[in-house]
Amino acid sequence: MMKKFRPILLTAICCAVGAVSAQAGTLENLERERAIVLDAYLDQALKPAERQSKTQVSRTRLIDLERMVLRDKSLAGKNTPRVRKAFDNYDLTFLVHASTEANRSVLDHWLEQIGVSTHSLMNTRLGRR
Amino acid sequence: MQSKNPLTRLAPIFLAGTMTVSVPSWAAVQNDGWNPVVSERLIKLPANYLKKAVDHDFSKSALAAAIADNRELTKLKTLTLRDLQSAIEGAEGELRIELRHQFLAEKRAYLELVARTQDLRRRQADTKIKLYSRMLDKLGAKTAAMTPQRAALVEKQKAAQKRFQSSIGAVDMKLFGNAAMTQSKYSQEYAKNVASIERLVAAIESHPMNRRAEIDGQAVSKQDYLRQIITKAEADVALLDQEETVLGYMAKLIALDAMALSDAVVADELAPGAAPVAQGASVNAAIDLFVTR
Repeated sequence: MMKKFRPILLTAICCAVGAVSAQAGTLENLERERAIVLDAYLDQALKPAERQSKTQVSRTRLIDLERMVLRDKSLAGKNTPRVRKAFDNYDLTFLVHASTEANRSVLDHWLEQIGVSTHSLMNTRLGRR
Repeated sequence: MQSKNPLTRLAPIFLAGTMTVSVPSWAAVQNDGWNPVVSERLIKLPANYLKKAVDHDFSKSALAAAIADNRELTKLKTLTLRDLQSAIEGAEGELRIELRHQFLAEKRAYLELVARTQDLRRRQADTKIKLYSRMLDKLGAKTAAMTPQRAALVEKQKAAQKRFQSSIGAVDMKLFGNAAMTQSKYSQEYAKNVASIERLVAAIESHPMNRRAEIDGQAVSKQDYLRQIITKAEADVALLDQEETVLGYMAKLIALDAMALSDAVVADELAPGAAPVAQGASVNAAIDLFVTR
């Protein structure tokens, strides 16, 4: 009897999970998409052409998502750690807009923001710890 | 059955004349209510419309109906008093005394009506003051709910918005200027919607019902407008206090008129040849009852 109901139960759970993920806010979607873009930039396994096409698609989506977050009235004054963190650093959160403003590539701008610059890399020394 | 003695009939007027103002008619007061509630929806209304909404709510209340009824009755009572006054001028003898007595009774009834109207108007003013004060408190509470952390977040969000708005044109030019990258469906639809929204916002801005509240021709904030309404309601209460004093003096005059009328009745009842009763006679006659064992 239980075996007969198992597929129904699983379907119901999947639907519930789907409903929860569908309710994700604009900020959560932006963070997910940004992670995908950065992952594509940093993935050593990708060939340049693959990386190019993958980041191109994600970049367009990221532009829309960044605009959605900035226009999302439900986030105004929403004092949660996630929202606070997002607006603490415009350059990291709204990566495509900030990098375009700064005339830099998305990856360069991101590295700059997390403190990795060409200058700092050139100054590093290989050593044994 | 009415008492024949005019003095007995005038006694309630003495008492009532002095008590009219001080004793409110509680039984009637409890049936006439106006209990407006400060809802979020009401607070969000534009200041001008907010007052209209409150006034409209009041006009539909039992309290407004009671005030209107009392005013109508007061008007009718004033007409009755005028008729009686002119009737007294033309009457003589017993009829004149009877009419004067009726005039006093009607005056007392008039005072009761006015006192009741004042009581209802005071309740209206008090309720207004409470209502608008609560609105002000709620508006203040909203501002006070801004913690330093939240205020900092709002500031950052405003700065982000400003930066985004100032750079969006340049960003669009750089990103979508070349043919390699086209605007998404979201961007295209958003631009269309923005154009529609701007037209609607312009229509709302110019709508007569959306004009900012004004005091003496000067546009004021919602808080200032509410404070102005509260001040007006408090001025109404102060005027009612003054009107109560006027009513007190009227009541005193009624009592004095009643006393004058009773004096006149006593003077008429005394026969011209009748000897006045000795002041101590009745007491002296009773002394024997006390001294004998």
